Amino acid sequence: MTDLSSDLQRGEPDSTGDPRERIGLDDPVMRRKERIYDTLIDLVTEMDDLSPTDIKPETEIVHDLGLDSLQVYELVIDLESRFEIRISDDELERVNTVQDVVDLIYGMTSE
Amino acid sequence: MYSAENDFAEGLLRIFDNVLLTEEKALSKGYFSNLSIAELHTLEAIGPYEARAMSETASRLGITTGTLTVAIDRLVRKGYVERYRDSKDRRVVRICLTRQGKLAYRMHAKFHKLLVRRIMDPLAPDDRERLAALVREIDSFIKEQYEKYSQEENARIAAKQTEDQ
Repeated sequence: MTDLSSDLQRGEPDSTGDPRERIGLDDPVMRRKERIYDTLIDLVTEMDDLSPTDIKPETEIVHDLGLDSLQVYELVIDLESRFEIRISDDELERVNTVQDVVDLIYGMTSE
Repeated sequence: MYSAENDFAEGLLRIFDNVLLTEEKALSKGYFSNLSIAELHTLEAIGPYEARAMSETASRLGITTGTLTVAIDRLVRKGYVERYRDSKDRRVVRICLTRQGKLAYRMHAKFHKLLVRRIMDPLAPDDRERLAALVREIDSFIKEQYEKYSQEENARIAAKQTEDQ
């Protein structure tokens, strides 16, 4: 699986703070990851009063966004239905950042 | 006189009662205070993913379809369950959890997991495995007893039906 953060590091220096502008969109993997990222950002910003520019790949879901366990499960249930996947509690425990969620969903939808 | 058997029997019953009481208290304090433990276990039997037939869910819970229908009516009214007729076979009624139902299911599953973790974490790895093996043995013994009594009960009902005819 391609690591989004390493690709981001190879891109142009970040002047905007918006990680989507740093993604190499020619790569189909990156395009799919970007779609997942956009959906995730839409869902998170719908739940909380956050601007999409406040969220970056390295943003921690619980620590930085301050989601409680109920909100985390709301997000999980919405992601499951949007991507037709199943995310177990064990998988959830291994997820920390926005990037981790994107990678997890990418892995589940590309099998 | 100390009796290991009595100690075990009392401990087992106390665990059973206290787990239910703790679940009930956790529920009443949380977001799903309008759900009873029995209703939560009905959501558990339906599960968070595929829609299930009423008959299948009733048998999972060990209750009749009639009893389940009453429970499902309430859960539909409270917004936790959706009910619809199967598009291929209109005689079959299917039920599934709403988003709110799935949330309650997942929060309850997390409660179970935390409870187990709090019990297991202080134990050494060997003790954890031993405890898990003993619990498996007790579980399969109780299941066997339940099946035995259910079979006897079914045989009694069948005999009575034959008698009545």
